[in-house]
Formats: sequence, structure tokens, C-alpha cells
Amino acid sequence: MTPSRTRSPASRAAQRWSPLLAGLRGRPFWAQFGGSVAALIVLSAGFQLISGSFLTLGNLRSVVEAAAVPAIIAAGISFVVIMGAIDLSVEGVMATASMVAALLVANGVNTNHLGVLGILLALAVSLAFGLANGILNALMRMPSLIVTLGMWFIGLGTAAVLFPQRVPQIRDDLLLGVARHGLLGFSLVVYVALVFVASAQAVLSHTTFGRMVYAIGGDEALLASSGLRTRGIKIAAFCVSSLFAGVGGLLLSAQLGSGNANIGNGHLFPAISASVLGGTLLTGGRGGAVQSALGALILEVLNNGLIQIGAGPYTRNIISGAVILTAFAASGVHRRQLLRVVK
Amino acid sequence: MTQTFEARGVAGFADTWLPLIRNAGPLLFLLFLVAGSAIIAPGVVQFDSLLSFLSDAAPVIALVIGGTFPILAGSIDLSVAGIASVTGVLVVVLNPVLGPWTSVAVVLLALLFGAMQGFVHTWLQLPSFIVTLATLSILSGVALLLSNATAEPIPSDDVLVGMLGNALAGVPDTAVVLAVMVALLGLLLRFTRIGRDIYAIGAGERAALMSGVHVLAIRTLLFAISAGCAAMAGLFLVSVTSFSSPTLAGNLLLLSIVGVVVGGTAISGGVGGLFAAVVGGLITSWLRVVAVIVGVVPTAQNIIFGVAALLAVAVTTDRKKLGVIK
Amino acid sequence: MTGTITLRGIRKTYGPVTALETLDLEIRAGEVLGLIGQNGSGKSTLLRILSGLALPDRGEVLLDGRPIVLDSAATARRHGIGMVHQEQSLIPNLSVAENIFLDKAHPAKRHGLCRWSSLNKAARAQLNKLGVDLPTTVPVETLRFSERQQVEFAKVLAIEELVDRPPVILLDEPTSLLTPDEIRALFFQINRLRGRASIVFVSHRLEEVLEISDRVVVLTDGRKVAERASASVDREELYEMMVGRQRAPAATRLRPETRHAPPLLQLEALTSLPHFRNVTFQLGRGEILGIVGVLGSGAEELCRGLFGVLRIDAGRVRFGGEPLKLAAPRAAVQQGIGYLPANRRAEGMLPGRSLTENAVVTFGHQYDWKRCVRNKAREDAAALQWMRRLKVKMDKPSAPIASLSGGNQQKIVLAKWLLAHDLRLLLLDHPSRGLDPGARDELFAVVREQVEQGLSVIFVADTISELIELSDRIIVMRDGEVTAEFDPRSGALPKEEQIVAAMV
Repeated sequence: MTPSRTRSPASRAAQRWSPLLAGLRGRPFWAQFGGSVAALIVLSAGFQLISGSFLTLGNLRSVVEAAAVPAIIAAGISFVVIMGAIDLSVEGVMATASMVAALLVANGVNTNHLGVLGILLALAVSLAFGLANGILNALMRMPSLIVTLGMWFIGLGTAAVLFPQRVPQIRDDLLLGVARHGLLGFSLVVYVALVFVASAQAVLSHTTFGRMVYAIGGDEALLASSGLRTRGIKIAAFCVSSLFAGVGGLLLSAQLGSGNANIGNGHLFPAISASVLGGTLLTGGRGGAVQSALGALILEVLNNGLIQIGAGPYTRNIISGAVILTAFAASGVHRRQLLRVVK
Repeated sequence: MTQTFEARGVAGFADTWLPLIRNAGPLLFLLFLVAGSAIIAPGVVQFDSLLSFLSDAAPVIALVIGGTFPILAGSIDLSVAGIASVTGVLVVVLNPVLGPWTSVAVVLLALLFGAMQGFVHTWLQLPSFIVTLATLSILSGVALLLSNATAEPIPSDDVLVGMLGNALAGVPDTAVVLAVMVALLGLLLRFTRIGRDIYAIGAGERAALMSGVHVLAIRTLLFAISAGCAAMAGLFLVSVTSFSSPTLAGNLLLLSIVGVVVGGTAISGGVGGLFAAVVGGLITSWLRVVAVIVGVVPTAQNIIFGVAALLAVAVTTDRKKLGVIK
Repeated sequence: MTGTITLRGIRKTYGPVTALETLDLEIRAGEVLGLIGQNGSGKSTLLRILSGLALPDRGEVLLDGRPIVLDSAATARRHGIGMVHQEQSLIPNLSVAENIFLDKAHPAKRHGLCRWSSLNKAARAQLNKLGVDLPTTVPVETLRFSERQQVEFAKVLAIEELVDRPPVILLDEPTSLLTPDEIRALFFQINRLRGRASIVFVSHRLEEVLEISDRVVVLTDGRKVAERASASVDREELYEMMVGRQRAPAATRLRPETRHAPPLLQLEALTSLPHFRNVTFQLGRGEILGIVGVLGSGAEELCRGLFGVLRIDAGRVRFGGEPLKLAAPRAAVQQGIGYLPANRRAEGMLPGRSLTENAVVTFGHQYDWKRCVRNKAREDAAALQWMRRLKVKMDKPSAPIASLSGGNQQKIVLAKWLLAHDLRLLLLDHPSRGLDPGARDELFAVVREQVEQGLSVIFVADTISELIELSDRIIVMRDGEVTAEFDPRSGALPKEEQIVAAMV
């Protein structure tokens, strides 16, 4: 319980200064975003120096397009990670959402034509996964790690079972339109991502639900001894995570033009990495949706830049893995304590 | 002190029935599965089919055995499937350099890699799942990169893989090697100071630390064992397929965890052992046989194993011990 | 509606330990009631009952003459009772304003939305009541300890908006970690609230209690032994009552001769901030050094520091003539140092393991082949031998340790250390915590027996009587420093009053 004080007049002023960021309670602006923004600038400048073609309008646009869906997934998973829990099920949820939507809207293998209703049903299925995660974790008191690991594969299996004889091409104009139409040079997917990330942040900052998510991450045992209920909050947080993963799955399907049972592959780890890069640190109580989205953007810049400077197509996983371990180790090393138990 | 007396008070279900379910349940379940399959399809319990079952099951059992060790100490190793895949790829890629003993070198490399994971996890105090999830990501990238995303035939001169393809008096060599691994690790767990320390860490890490247990060394060793077993699982796999592919063991992550938990090893640590691991590995492998007999489409197997994992964990988790459950 | 709380015949036991024995107490509206007593006198239990964290076994709590049941912190809050915890109960990553209203409904949080401006305004109003100026939007983890305490105070005081009478505020050892200036500020706040709220002020420190309280109640061994107006108090008499005269005077063992062997352990200006500073003493072979101090005095931390669990900032330690590096428990164990922790459940025992496994976890390898391959027969025999000598009451050695009573668990943890062939120093950190008197006496007898054979012991005591009973020499600590040293061998026994005076 060492007394510490990190406030400075400047940071206090920054807090009063910006009503928008008033939602990101407590921490001064630069403490929350400074690292991410600095990393973005340094990486972009570095890649530009090496490749000479990173900072072109076309390339920046493709970075943003590629970061849109990962940002949504990362924003959703933040709800769970801020609580200090984990959600490994996103890939499974994405796959199931993709297949359900592809088979319910106008498509190439059956005669369904539910349109918006089909999309909503796909999202409802995603929500059901989150509900199951939350109930097993909060009510059945099972560790979220193993619960969501099981759900991950249940989701993959469900998608595989739903997969028809041939690839279900999506013919629904609404769903396809999100990927095909654009505005101001960006596809609608980017705007959907902006809306979801902003709403996630608004919920985290300006609702009692969001604040309880932070409180659970801060000290869950204390909430229990003060007689406050946390189970409903935990279930809801898992639901948000799965819902966002479902949205991500739908958007990727729209970009692909078909339902795909492997659509989520490779999205889990970047999402967790993004939320860690954004400052959640997996210990709970820190970070936010915007930070996680910035983390996703950093990973995409890194990935794109490395391709620009000639790294092969398979280095993506290696890099995100290495980056995350380094970032994590660097940020956590000063918090080592002799008796801390980390499983 | 309060908790102590409360703990004594609730000597109901948790104290009398849970250990029983944990100990005898998995074995009974395995027998039930085998008996059931025998009634539906008598062919599966003939000697020949059982032998081929053993070589098919060997990779999963090896993964389950390895995965049991970190879980006994309350950690988890999610990288095992990645290590198995990379092992297959490395056996091909390094052969021109290292010659016939490549596979042995690769297993040693895996041990080293696992030790590094355990050290990083414990020394930097990073959660084991995030360290191993990161290495899983790295390993799957490495496998794709080194193999250029193509399947390659295993070089015929490799000593260990060549041996694994043979049979000893009708028993496949994979089964023999597996039995040797089980015996060695079983002895380690049961009859050495290391085994005692592993269970001590799983039962209460703080108390173990305060009792002078070398937690860092033990954790490092646990992850080395886990990775070593995963590498052996990779060799078992390529000895059956005789091809290495970067996604060879891609779907074995869940199976390895399912095997650990259905065998009765508690995810919360400190409870379980090698017998549980072998039973769990056999159940998991036999479930695949059952799935074929019953006619479950292969694609649905993930659902079955996911549900099996959830059920097993629901029964075996020691909720009293965990306090706040994240 | 005055808001008088009356406790009638309250009794609370934890297993074999009686924490409160038929206690009657009245907390009058608007008064500051001082509550004093030693460790284990029942103060904490009383606070737990009042704040809804524990239910009494017998007796009732009355509010203005009507019985109420305080079965959770939320219920207590609804009845207008709140506690400022010694270990603070704030969520570290939430803002000051959020923490103040965390456990209360507030118009600023209606319909699930957080209206920050009105929440901050309301928080500011609460802080203003205390005359405190703190930013309401910063996370509490960035505040100083004393600032966090003010937030905690404001959080409890905000209860008065929930009820239509003066709230009851329980202050649990509020001064133990504050500087003198901060204590003055706290007293200023308490004085501001006098008349508007009932305040129960709990402390070991008699001076402070007398200064701030209207009335003082002394608890000893779970009973109320005195109730006085602060203005008309005989301090000596209160000291005596705190010490607890009714307990039979301890049979003190005065060992005839100090051995003139070289000292085993020499501490030179050992410092671990913020826990203890400049601790210097020597410990001889076969000597029991008793250390006593209130919570936060650093006695417990000193033990942990010697076992390698705390970071040492400065100072030197020589052990058996050699410099001792305090790196990790493992290093200490290899030097022949054992530690019986106060938190037995988390740090002493391995809950799921058997009695034998618990006993052999540290030194079982002595019986192993090449110190590596287990020889279970020899291990079991050694463990069983110690369990017999310590008279552990058990079904069988393979039973799980959780099935034993607290005293027997403690004996198993002790056996873990006594199994060592070459244990030289044993650190006993509140060894009798949670034990009934019989179990405690047995434990002490074993310790004495080992000391006769040359073991040195540092003993952090729960109560002064057990301190005097077991120790050869006594050190008193307060606020991280050694304040007094008594050597009974060189003269008469120290009076308990003298020790208490050095503690508080």
C-alpha cells in the first residue's frame, strides 16, 4: 500500500478539458492513449522510411479496412477482459454466426429469404453463446478459460454441421451492401466498426453496467462483501463479447460474399492481443473499447507494414504472438512480487 | 480460521462424492463406452482393431499426458497442438542438416522450448494461458512459414519416425514408446521429490512457496514435459500419416484439454495424475470411435468434445478452492 | 427516531474460540464511543456483527428498541450503519465519486445511466461535509492512504442520505497507518460530525481514544470490563483492565542461566519500508525472543522479512556468523530457518493434501534416496512420529488436512518444520491464532522442548500474557520501530502494563 500520486496539474487540466473523454474516467488522456498513438506514429514512420510506400492514401485505407472487423471483436472482448476473465469462444461464435446468416438470408443453396430477420437471428444465436458462457461462468462457477474454450469448439462444430453441400453464396443485398458500398472512400464496414466501438465505449463509460464491469475487474471479492450483485453483470458482459464477435463474423461473410465455417480462424489471438496492447493487461479493471480498437489498428499497421517490407504471408501469427509477449512482459515486469500467484 | 471451520461443516457432496466420481468415474465411463460399442459393433473390440486403435490413439494420449502436468500445478498449456504440428514440419525441414537423428533433436528442441515457456510464465508472472496462446500463434505461423503451407513426405531415413512405424511382436511401436513414456513420467510423479512438489504447488502455490518448494524450477520442468510429450505426439502423428503438414495437429488442442479433464484431473490443480491422464486420453480417443460407430458426422465431433469438456469441468472443478472465479 | 443501537447478550464463537461472551453495549445517538482492547479481545468481531459481516450466535441488536437482523453489509447500510475498514474497501480503479456511491442507489445513477456531472457534484457535497478537497474524478488508487481513508469516510457518511436519522459510523483502527498530522485531520473531521452521527472509534491507542471519545468501553476476552466517561478516567486502571486481570497469571519459565554461546542471529539496522526501520537485535542459540506490537507495528513483517518474503531495503543480517541473504523462502529454508505463518490456510497448509504430505513437503527429501527418489516408508514413519509427539488428533495420517481442527492443523504445519534435521531458527507468527487454550498450551510445550535442544525461536505473540509466558526476552515494536526491550533474566518480570505502554 505504498502511497503514490501520479496526478499532475497538466493531466488534471486535460481531464476537465475534454467532455468527450470524460467518459474514459479517471486516467488522464495521455496515460490512456499516449502509448497507442505513439506506437502508431513510430510504426508508420518506420515502415515509411523502409518501404517508402506505407504512407500512401491507398495503403492507409487498406489498413483501416483491414482493422475494422478486428477492432469490433477486440472492443467486444474488452468487456470480458476488463472484468479479469477471458473469452476464447469468439472464433466459434463468428463461424456459427456466419453460417446461420448465410443460410437464412437469400443465398445460393436454399430458398430462405429472411433478410433483416435472418441477420437478427444470426446475432441472436451469437448472443446465446454469450449467455451460455456467462451462465456457466457466473452461475455454475466454472473458470471462464475452460468454459469459453469448450464453447469455441462447440461453435466451430455447429458451423461445420450447418455447412451445406456446397458453399452458401450470400445474395442478400443488405448484407452484401455493407461491404460493397462506401462513403468518403471507406466501405460501410468501417463505419459499422466506428459505431460499435463508440457504443461499446459509451456503455463502458456512461452506464452503471459498464462501471460495474470495471468494478468487477478492480476487486470482485470486495463487491461481494459489500452486498452488491455481480452475476447478472458478468453474464451480460459475456453476451456483449459474443454479440460483437457475431457482428464481426457477419461483416467478414459480407466481405467474402459467402458463409464460411472457418471465417473466425486467426481472429481470437489478435483480439486478445489488441485488448492487451490497449492496456487491459488481463488483470482486469483497466482499458476500454477505444483502447482495444487502437490496439487492433496497431496490429494491422504492423502486419501491413511487414508485408510492405517483404515479410512473407505467414509471418502474421508469429509477429502478433511475439509482439504481445514482449508488450506484456515489458508492462508487467515491474509488477513482479515475490508472493504473487499467477496461474 | 473462520474458513477452516466452515470447510469442516460442508462435508457433504464435495467431500464424500466428488473424490469418488473423480477416481472411479472416468474408468467406469471408459468401460461403459467400450462395452456399449462392443454391443453395437463387435468388430471394434477385436484384437487387431484394438491394436490399430492404440496407434491411432497414441498422439492424443501423449498430448493428454503432457497437458496433465501443467494443469496439475494449476496452469494450462494451450500450445501443445502447435508444438506437435511444428515437430512434424521440423522433422522434414531439418533433415538435410541433421540427418537421420533429426527427430531426436527436434524433441530436445521442444523440451527446451517448453522450458522457456514455463520460465517466462513463472518468472514474469504472466498467466500461462496467455503465454501459451501467444506461442500457439507463433508456432502455427512458424509451421506455415517453414513448410510453405504444403504437406511434405517424411524422410525415410529418420531413425525415430522409422522405428515408430514398425511393430514389436505385433504391438505397434508407438504403443510401446507411449507405454515407456507413461512409465517414466508415472515414476517421476509418484516416486520423486519433483512429483511431491508438483502436487504441493497445485494444492496451494503460496503455501508451497512458503514451504521452500522451488516453484520456478518445477513450473519450468512441467512445461518442458508438456512440450516434450507434444513433440512425441507430433512424431506419432507423422509416423501414421508419413506426411507432415503445418496444420497436422490443428484440431488436437481441444482433445488434449478434454482428455485431461474427463480423466478426472481438476482444472483447479492439485488433483489427478497419470492414471487419470491415460484413462482420459483413452476416453477421448474412444469417443472418436464411438462417433464413427453411431454415425456422428466428423464435423460434429467438435461439439461432442466441447460439451464433454464442459461437463467434465462442471463435475471436477473445486469451487471451494477457487474463491473468486474468473 | 433517535438512532440508538443496543446490543443485548451478544455471543459469538469461532469453533473452539469464544470471540464475544454475552456482551451488552449501547451506542447512543450522536456520541463518539471509544472501544479499546488488546488483540483478540473481541473488538473486530463486534464490528463485524454491527456491519452485517457476521451474525451473532446468541443475543440481539436493537435499533431504537426494535430488534433488527444485520445479515449483510447491504442490510446494515439500510439501517444506517457503515464501517470505515482498516484495510480499505474501495475499488482501486474506480473514481472517488463512484466509490462514494458504489453501494448506494443515487439519482445520478437512475435508469442504468451514469450522469457524471451530478454524480461528481454529489460526491463533492459529501466530501465538503468532511471539509475535504479531493478531485472526484481520479481513480482512488492514485490517492495517498490518508486521502483514501477520507474517501472511505465520505462513502460511509453518505449513508445518512439513505436513512432519516443520524448514521452510525464504525471506525476500525483508523489511526494505525496515519501520520500525526493526518491523525489531527481525522480528529477534526470526527469533531465536525459529533452530534450528527454516532461514531464508534476502535483503537489500541488509549491516548487517542480518550482524546476523541465521549465514553470509553474496554473489552477483554470478549467481555465488557469497563464503561467510563472519558473525562473521568483513571488511565492506570484502564491499562490494567485492558491487560485482563481475571486470567490466571502465566506460569513464567525463567531459565536459570543465559548461555554464553555466540549469538545465532544478529540484525543490524534492518529496514523494509514502509513496514519496519532500523531493527537491531541479537538472538542466542536456544533462546526465545518474543516480539509484540499492535497490527501495523511491523512485528509480523519483520518475521516475513527474515524468511525472505519481504524486500529488504537496508541493514545487515548475520546468521550463525555468516551474512544471510534474504532472497526467497527457499533460501531461508536451506539455511535452516522455518516460518509458521499467521495465515495458516493460505500460507501454511496445502488444503487438498493429506496430513503426511503436508508434513513432508519441505524436509521429506531428507529421507529420500539421494534426496530425490522418495522413500515413502521412511517419510511416513518420520511424519507419524512427529504427529504422535505433537498429539495430533486424527483418523489416519492419509486424511486430508482440511478435516482437522485449527489446532491440529497448526500442529501439522509445525511438524513440517520440526521434521528438519538441522532447523536452527523457527519464526512463529501468531502461532496461537484460532487455537483454544488447550491446543495453545500443547503447542507451547513442544516449542519449549525444542528450544531446550538448541532451537532458537522468534515469537510474534497475539496477547501479552502468552508473550510473557513463552519468551526469554521481549522486544516491543510500534510503528515499525523497536520501542522497548525487556530481559526477564536480568531482573524482575516486566509488568504487562509496561509492555502495553510501549505498544500504544
